[in-house]
Parts: sequence; C-alpha cells; structure tokens
Amino acid sequence: MTHAKRIDREAGRAYWMMILPAFLIYLAVMAFPIVLSFILSVSNYSGGKMFGENAEKWSLVGFAQYLRVVKDPWFWNALKNNLYIVGISVFGQLPLGFVFAYIIYRRLVKAPGFWQGVLYVPNIISIIVVGLLWQSIFSPNGPIAQVVNDLARGEFQGKLSGLMDGVGHLDLSDGALSRILDLGGQAARDMFTDPVPELRDLLSSYGAEEGAMVANDLTNLLVNRWTPEFLNVKEVAMLPILFVILWMYTGMYLILFLANMQKIDAQIIESARIDGANEMQVMRHIIIPALTGTIVNSAILAISGSLSSFALIFALTGGGPGRITEILSIYMYRSAMSGSRDYPLANAIALIMVVISILLIVLTKAIEKRWGGKEE
Amino acid sequence: MRTEANARVRARGLLGSALAKAAAYLVMGTFTLMTVYPLFWLTMNSFKTTREFQVNMLGLPMDPTLENFRMAWEFGEFGKLFPNSFIYTIGTTALVIALSVLAGFAFAKIPRRVTKWIYGSFVVGILLTINTLMIPLFIEVTMLGIYNTRLAVLLVYVGAGLPIGIYLSTEYIRGIPTALVESARIDGAGYFTIFRRIILPMAAPVATTLAILQICSTWNEFALINILVSRTELKSLPLGIFKFSSSLSTDYGKQFAALVIGMAPMLLFYVAFRKQITRGVAAGAVKG
Repeated sequence: MTHAKRIDREAGRAYWMMILPAFLIYLAVMAFPIVLSFILSVSNYSGGKMFGENAEKWSLVGFAQYLRVVKDPWFWNALKNNLYIVGISVFGQLPLGFVFAYIIYRRLVKAPGFWQGVLYVPNIISIIVVGLLWQSIFSPNGPIAQVVNDLARGEFQGKLSGLMDGVGHLDLSDGALSRILDLGGQAARDMFTDPVPELRDLLSSYGAEEGAMVANDLTNLLVNRWTPEFLNVKEVAMLPILFVILWMYTGMYLILFLANMQKIDAQIIESARIDGANEMQVMRHIIIPALTGTIVNSAILAISGSLSSFALIFALTGGGPGRITEILSIYMYRSAMSGSRDYPLANAIALIMVVISILLIVLTKAIEKRWGGKEE
Repeated sequence: MRTEANARVRARGLLGSALAKAAAYLVMGTFTLMTVYPLFWLTMNSFKTTREFQVNMLGLPMDPTLENFRMAWEFGEFGKLFPNSFIYTIGTTALVIALSVLAGFAFAKIPRRVTKWIYGSFVVGILLTINTLMIPLFIEVTMLGIYNTRLAVLLVYVGAGLPIGIYLSTEYIRGIPTALVESARIDGAGYFTIFRRIILPMAAPVATTLAILQICSTWNEFALINILVSRTELKSLPLGIFKFSSSLSTDYGKQFAALVIGMAPMLLFYVAFRKQITRGVAAGAVKG
C-alpha cells in the first residue's frame, strides 16, 4: 500500500514537472491576457503604471465600452470585412482548392508534385512581402496601369496617324483638329481654354518635316492616362484585398484536400469506374462524402484565419482609405496604438473577438458530434 | 452492331477525357502562372534601377544592377534583422518541441484525472487565435517591464505555438504502445528515464512536423512582434521589411530588393523541405 502510494506520488511529481513549464507559459500568454482584457474593458485605465507607487488612478466603470463598440459604425464595418474574408475563403479558396486537388488526385495532369509545389509557394512567403508586392502592383503607377496605358497609347497613335495621313502637312482644317481632339475626349479639350485655335498654334511651332515627332507629342499630350486607384476607392477597396487573400491561401486548401483525398481507398474508385460510374458520379458519391469532415474543418479554419489576420491588410492599405478596409484586429490595434490610446475600447474589442472564437469552438464540437468522430 | 456502339462509346470517352485533360491543364496552367508571375516580376525588377523600372515595368532588366540590394541591405539594416530572425525562430522551435513532447508524454502516458482539463485547455487554444490578444499582451508585457526584450518575443511565440504542439505530440505519443511504458515501469524506471530512453527516440516524426510548422510560422510572424518590439536591434525580418512600405514607396528598386531579400530564405527552405512542409501543413491544420 505504502509502496503503491509512493509510486503514485512519484508519478504525480513527474507529471507536474513535465507539464508545468508549458502550462505556465500558456497561462501567461493566453489565459492571463484574456482575464486582463476583461478587467481593462470594464475599467477606465489608459496606460501608465497599474499598481504600486506612483500608479495611475484607475477604477472599474462597468460595461460602457461594449455599448460604445456596438454603437460604433466602424465596428460593424470591420466585422463586415471579416465576414468578407470568411466569404472569399469558403466560396473562393475552398472550391478552387478542391478543384485543384481533384485534378491532381485524379491524375488529369502530369507531374502532380510540380503543381502542388508551385501553388503552395505564396503561403511560404512572409505576409508583409506579399502585401507590399501587391501594393506596388496595384499602385496607380504600377504595371497594371502601364499595360493598359501602353495599349491605349498604341491605339491612340494608330487613330491619330489615320487622321493625319493624307494631309501631309500640319496646316489642318478646323474639322480635322476637332476630330483629333475628339480622340482624347473631354479630358483633352479641358486642357485648353479654346481648343481648336490653341491646338493649331501648337502645331504651327513644328517644322513640316517633323510629322513623326508631332504624332508622338500629340499622343503624349492628348491620350487619356489611366491612374487606377484600386486600393483607394472606398466602394471597392476590399476587392483587391480579397483577391490577394485568394491568391495567397488557396494553395493551403489544395494541400488539405489532396492529403485527405489520398486517404481514400483507390480500389473503391476503380471498381466504381469499372461498374460504369463517370467522373462526376465518382466525385459526387465517393469523394465529396469522404471529404465532408475536411470541408467543415476548412470552413472553421477560414473563420479563425479571418479573426487572426492582421498583417496583410496592415501592409496593403493599413485599413484605409479612411477606415474602410479595417478588420476587427486592425480596428482594435488602431484604438489602442494610435493617438488616443483607448485601452478600454481596444480590450472590449479583444474580448468580443475571443467570444467569437469560443462560439466557434462550441460550434466545432457540435459539428464533430453531428458527423461523429474526428477527421483531419 | 454492338461492337460499333461500344467503339462509339469508347471514342466519346476518349474524346471526353482528352477534353477534360485539356481543361485541367488550362485551369492549372492559368493559376500557376498567376502564382508565379508576380514573384518572377518582383525578382526581375529588383535588378532594375528605379528610373528604369518607371519606363520598363514588364521587360527584363536592360542593365541589371545589384545596387538596389546593397542600398536595401544598408537602409533596412538586414545585418541586424537576420540574426534576430534566426534567434527567434530557432529558440521558439526548440522550446516548443521540447515543452510539447515532454507535456505530451505526461498527458498521454501518466494517467491523471486533471489531464482532461489541462490538456483540454490547450486544445481549445488551437482555435483561440493569439492575434486577437495583441493589445492585452502589449499591456501585460509593458506591466512586466519586458517590452522591447527578446525574452518577451520568445515567451509569446512559445505560448502561441504550444497548443498545436501539445495537441500533435499528445496524439502522437498516445499511439505509442502503453505496454512499452508499463514494462519499463515494472523494471523500476522513472518517468523521466522512460521519456529519455523510449519516448524521445520515437518522437522524431512528430518533432519534425512541429519543427516545420514552427519554423514557417515564426520566421514570417508579424502581428505580435509588431507590438512587442520597437528597437531595430530586436526586430525580425518581416518587421524590418515593413519599414520599406511608407518611407520608400517611390523608391521601387530598393523596395523590391528588400522584398526579394525577405522572401529568399523561406523559398530556399521550401525548396529544400517541400515534402516535409506539405505533410506538416496537412497534419497541422486540425481544428482541435
């Protein structure tokens, strides 16, 4: 009896020595901040020393912050953006990832490793690099703008030489000048106070043999330059962000789906094919049912991924223009870190996000019960 | 008659599968190009001067230069960022593996009633994304007087990595036959001896998975270190690269060089360990 007790005590000591280092760090880094954020969210503490000598005066003031959050339209804007991110994951990345995985799994393309390997690459790169890369691609003077402007320029020059051909000299009629101005549209006319005579004056400064140069200069002057503000138009600023998210993370879902497809017994599919099932039937009746758990799991990952995302939008737009592309984490960061140091509000937001996560966990458990057992 | 019908069906099948294959190549090709081209474009442009970039955004560099890299390296103080990134990544990875496998063994093989609760709290942490706690963490770290220290970064990173680490190692060690542990117990071995002699050598696969997951996430982490550290001496690579966004948004050459420097290490790592990374990601994407 005493022997058994001693052994049990030894086991207990070993147990605690093994788990305590991890558990204490975990408590300090995960549990304590949750408690702290709750306390701060119902207080009026806004920086400075909390305890001890020379501590700032602060006290508990109740749930006013939560009311402030709920009444703040920017909170709902941020929440909406989080939901957009969930949406692009569930309705964009998941189906795309599934299709890619299916194509690779069914060997519709050769070299499966190559496609899988390449499509996963954006996941491996730092989000900050991805954010800044796409920021310059979407910039008003970036490559997209340049391609479009080069095309427009070529077209303009073609039309212009069509108009100037056959005239042979630069002393054009009012009608011809007007048609040249028409090529540039209203924007071209707006450059002059009295377009047609001024354009004639301009052309008269060139020598007769400088036709090519005139065409070139006129194009530069009159062609409409497109300076796209992809990231600066309030109505659509989320779209490029969602595109980049799609670009970055689809490969992860591809890997998840492919890994789980490879667990399906290949013989089941083979015998279904022999029995005359076509590709669509195989997909509907064998592959999709086998992947239900993975699909649900991926959707949950998408929601928790949306809650934890921060760096991409921070690098791409910083939440701008204005505050239109803020997500909850950036809304929280901005409340605490810029200007007013509104710690109570920021902590209320943190706690709201924690509560959403907990609801998600409860939902996961419910789903797990519904589908029975664990699936990866 | 029948053979003719069969042949027709087979022909249609062949045609269908040829079409399906063409479509498959089209889909995969398009998306692969969309994935690779921006990265290729970035790399190519990092060898152009800003002036050349402004007139020649799409072509190959006419006069390739390494000047951007030299200036970016200097301005970004990469000489400080790289050692920091290595310290954080290696430190976090080693600690997460050690603590996870140790605790995982206790959870899996030392029967205690409290396991259900403590282990359960770690599993819950998998979905409780730590980024939502960045502000309370910032306040906590300031309170403790460890703002702007490597200790704070390591502590937070390890805490963030433990839930998935402990989940994966506990599940893995549960798969090791308990009889091995029990017979060693009967022979009088203590749990730490059993851990060292039996469990540790067998835990290599799960340790590899954890290492892969942890290296990828720590090396690229931004949101947390952003609120833990403000001195350049302590900054990691992503934090340092962020400096190139606002102050240099028009000096494209230098910015692109910085981004290439920033992505190169992980790309090399990926090329070297692609299979392990892919397996690790598939194993690590659990909902808990």
